[in-house]
Amino acid sequence: MESTPRVSHQNGGGGTIAEPPVTADSLARAVADVWSECLGGREVAPEDDFFAVGGSSLSGIKIIDRLAEDYGVRLSVRAFYLAQTPTRVAELIEQGRAAA
Amino acid sequence: MRLTPGPDRDIDLDTVNLFDLDLYTAGDPHTVWNAMRAKAPLHHQVLPGGREFWSVTRYEDVCRVLGDHREFTSERGTVPTHLGTDDVAAGKLLTSTDPPRHTQVRRAIGAKLTARAVATWQDRIRQAIVGFLEPALDGEVFDLAERALLLPAMITGPLLGIPEKDWAELVQLTAMVTAPSDRHFCHGSEDATLAIAHHELLSYVTEWVKQRRASGEADGSVLDHLVNATAGDAPLTDEEIALDGYSILLGANVTTPHTVSGTVQALIEHPEQFARAQADESLIPNLVEEGLRWTSAATNFMRYAVDDIEIGGGTIPARGAVVAWIGSANRDELQFPDPHVFDIARNGAKRQVAFGFGPHFCIGAPLARMSLRIYFEELLRRFSSLEFAGEPEHLRSFFIAGMTHLPIVARKR
Repeated sequence: MESTPRVSHQNGGGGTIAEPPVTADSLARAVADVWSECLGGREVAPEDDFFAVGGSSLSGIKIIDRLAEDYGVRLSVRAFYLAQTPTRVAELIEQGRAAA
Repeated sequence: MRLTPGPDRDIDLDTVNLFDLDLYTAGDPHTVWNAMRAKAPLHHQVLPGGREFWSVTRYEDVCRVLGDHREFTSERGTVPTHLGTDDVAAGKLLTSTDPPRHTQVRRAIGAKLTARAVATWQDRIRQAIVGFLEPALDGEVFDLAERALLLPAMITGPLLGIPEKDWAELVQLTAMVTAPSDRHFCHGSEDATLAIAHHELLSYVTEWVKQRRASGEADGSVLDHLVNATAGDAPLTDEEIALDGYSILLGANVTTPHTVSGTVQALIEHPEQFARAQADESLIPNLVEEGLRWTSAATNFMRYAVDDIEIGGGTIPARGAVVAWIGSANRDELQFPDPHVFDIARNGAKRQVAFGFGPHFCIGAPLARMSLRIYFEELLRRFSSLEFAGEPEHLRSFFIAGMTHLPIVARKR
């Protein structure tokens, strides 16, 4: 597993852009927002620990579903809980997209 | 955990840590509980970080805490692992629900698990148990504790509606719930292990229900019954089905293996009792009760005080967490004379509270009792003697008393 966040490739040519270019940081921020929503609005930062902010399996189920809808990547349950922070979950999404 | 205590020793109850997992893998919890029953029947402990809980250890107090939901609610969680964090499944998961909703759902699910209902499964259960004992007949070392983890799945899998290909995985997941930091079961941190296990078990049940609904099939299994049950004129919600299905899988898998191994261990330590049971099969039902008392696989359950409550010579403040130590209640000398003596002919063994007490009394108790009876009938018919073939290894858990390894050698009769 890669340990450093990657920046997704910007589309430099005339091809259609499916979604706005996303940096690793902003993806981590977006993941943190999904967590926040599924944790009843509680503030979540990209480096927060899932369990420290009150995460449970019931919120994890919602989060994995939401991320699958939003990003087209269904994370494995084990990888999700072992990742534990929005930043590392964002990396998993990046890897999932790269593999797709 | 160690089931035969060593000699009583001086224990400083002000500093004892009941959540210290080493106490259960390498220590001697019964000597601690002995001291608590004698000197601090209401015990208070503050954990590093500030979480606190009260403990009751006497039989009478344990029954009161588990028996009266008006004083002690289940709706904020019942497992000490989650002390201090209110249960997100409160009011939906049956074990975290108080009457009157509890009564409705309990009645609906329980109809399929009464002594009369489970009696029809007797022959199938006997076949599964005979199959389980088969490999021990060749006289090689048989790791009873390790193998017994799969025993409930072999017995209850077909009754619950779980296909054989899924048993091993589900047994692994339920073991992760009971001992998330045991080297056999942990994945990353304790929190991660618990969340992975909860998540995958809930997803398993949800997926099972989805497939069953899509196919329109029904097999009369317990999970099928859960899907079709009505409680208070309405079917259970999908969330209730997933949570209670999870709870049933957990209850089925994580306790009886330890009662089996712990009781066999006691019979090896007391060959005269083994011989006695072998000579008189009519003693087996009482052997089962004594084995349940002796092993107390579910070590404790937690409740929260609704108001300030006087108990055990002290007061639990409103909203305080209280842990009812079943393992201790079952060794209370006021209820069980010579409590640390394993005696298959014990009078009053049936008063044991290994299945809990009150509204949340184990819903699977009739099935467990019948399965244990058949297990010991078949064991005693097949083997002339049993011996240890190595040291036991204890489960790293403060709420399930059990072993991960118990190597034995059995001699064919």
